Amino acid sequence: MASARFETRRLTSDAMFGVCAACAAVIVTLLLLVSGYLVFIGAGAINLSFFTDVPTGDVAQPGGMRHAIEGTLILLALAAAIGVPLGVASGVYLSEYSHEWLFASPMRFIADVLTGVPSIVVGILGYELVVVPVSRWTSNSVSFSGYAGAAALAFIMIPIVARTTEEMLRLVPKTYREGSLALGASKAQTVLRVVLPSAFGSISTGIMLAIARVAGETAPLLFTALGSRLLTRDPSEPFPSLTLQIYTYATGPYPEQKNLAWAGILVLLAILFVVNLLIRVVASRHAATRMGKS
Amino acid sequence: MTTDASAISAAAPSPNASGGPARSLRRSFRFGDAMLGLVCRGSAAIIALMLGALVLVLLTSAMPAIKQFGLGFLVSSEWRVNELERPLKDAAGQVVMEDGEIVMETIKPAFGALPVIYGTAMSSLIALAIAVPLSFGAALFLVRVAPTLRIAGPLSFLIEFLAAIPSLAYGIWGLFVLAPFLQSHVGPAIKATLENVPGLRWMFYESVTIAGTVVERPIPITGRDMLCGSLVLAIMILPIVTSVSRDVLKAVPRTQIEGTLALGATWWQSCVAMLRYGRSGLFGAVMLGLARAAGETMAITMVIGNNNQINPSPFAPAQTMASLLANEFAEASEGLHQASLLYVALVLLVMSLLFNVIARRLVVGKASPAGH
Repeated sequence: MASARFETRRLTSDAMFGVCAACAAVIVTLLLLVSGYLVFIGAGAINLSFFTDVPTGDVAQPGGMRHAIEGTLILLALAAAIGVPLGVASGVYLSEYSHEWLFASPMRFIADVLTGVPSIVVGILGYELVVVPVSRWTSNSVSFSGYAGAAALAFIMIPIVARTTEEMLRLVPKTYREGSLALGASKAQTVLRVVLPSAFGSISTGIMLAIARVAGETAPLLFTALGSRLLTRDPSEPFPSLTLQIYTYATGPYPEQKNLAWAGILVLLAILFVVNLLIRVVASRHAATRMGKS
Repeated sequence: MTTDASAISAAAPSPNASGGPARSLRRSFRFGDAMLGLVCRGSAAIIALMLGALVLVLLTSAMPAIKQFGLGFLVSSEWRVNELERPLKDAAGQVVMEDGEIVMETIKPAFGALPVIYGTAMSSLIALAIAVPLSFGAALFLVRVAPTLRIAGPLSFLIEFLAAIPSLAYGIWGLFVLAPFLQSHVGPAIKATLENVPGLRWMFYESVTIAGTVVERPIPITGRDMLCGSLVLAIMILPIVTSVSRDVLKAVPRTQIEGTLALGATWWQSCVAMLRYGRSGLFGAVMLGLARAAGETMAITMVIGNNNQINPSPFAPAQTMASLLANEFAEASEGLHQASLLYVALVLLVMSLLFNVIARRLVVGKASPAGH
């Protein structure tokens, strides 16, 4: 009797072990299937003119996506220019001024909450807060612009950068700060010359992650940068972006443009993969040196 | 302990307190500290301003719709962007004639969010129903089995990289690979098997009123429907739910597992004990997945079919809050239409903030101490 019950328990356990392994296998296969498909078809669609040509207006030979690649890079640079200083400074506040808990802990909570705002809502905020006022100001009909797009991307970046910066600064040993203060350095000197430099590697990793995250965003740009088929470098105009261009081509009716969309997705994935790999390498090297030091 | 440095420098006995160099040094200390404090506090305040602006802007721009519809907006399923003219009918259902002409009545534009709320809830729930069991199983595998096989590292990297793939990529895959496959293989196969099962007719037929008579017609299987949207959502939230629940399970103390094993539990029974121990964190992982699924925009817009109506069939096109915004906001004329869309955006914002707050409370409380 007892051994029969034990037998059932053992069989159930073995069966569930199989189920768990199968779950892992299914997830890995599914995700490999998706990314493999994207890479496979994208590789067939990509060529040099994708990087060097701009759209022609001829749907049978749509040209390349040089404008969109440059547009995305400019948008990311602008977004980082706004988002990184603000994000790092708020991260420093959350970590180094955490004794002001009456203000610091609600700010930490708000930063957490902001990372969960749906990106389409951020796009709408960008429209209402930048595009509409600028249109009124310049009495244009609707002034979609690269600046509005960059602002929307920065909105997504700031809370991410702030929270990762805080986490990384908290890993800096307290003795560093105490040693610096004991040597007579001011708080500003301690933060700027001791604490921030010793967390430099991990903070830049966090920044890279945030940039990689917004590089793939489409929804915040729909109503802000709008997208463009021109090779423009003026961010006060409607601005091209890789993701917007891929979306337009993918949902359009022409097979040649859909081909370009596949190629675009491949380029985007390649960029993200390289960034992720770099982050991993930097992070592990940083961890190694930290271990060596302490 | 972070002591204010200026306090230290002020309190420190200085040999020439009245002398020039020391005083200017101290002043520059205070100036630097003040500047740093100003910059950091200012930046932190901007974060609060961001949330404030988000809520305030959406609230004020949605105000016309909020005033017009109130909370009834959430339960109304009408979505008429333009005015409609139709023949006026009397109580008997007869068209009213006056001087030999048909009297027309105008129906005002009306907006209600029920179809998109239904679409969002339904697609997210189906996605969770598919993704959560798979993720929990895989998380158990990652924590209990993978380390012994030395594949935990590569598997984790793979899952984390896949979590970083933008939703646009999943959308393109869904649109060009999954939807055609569902249309040509899966949909017809399911229809052939289940069509004649009593009680499942609603899955394949819909009733429409054409010229006053109710006609039942088959729902065309296009592949771009609720089923496809839910499947794509499920695939998209797999990585995040898996990696968060893996972290939660990792944080279960070793003694708990060893204790159950020592009491004679089998492998699976100790897994159940682990799941029970981490249940609130696991619930947090589910909420995080829900928040992600509900706010997802690009992929769902490309595959769900974008039809603003409630239809219980998984083969009918649907619409979510996010896809409605992506589709209509750019073309919406200023006025009630735009205000209604902003109302939808506000509902979406409040909902996903709620999910996120709950998720963070649950996950941070459990997983964080051992996670770092």
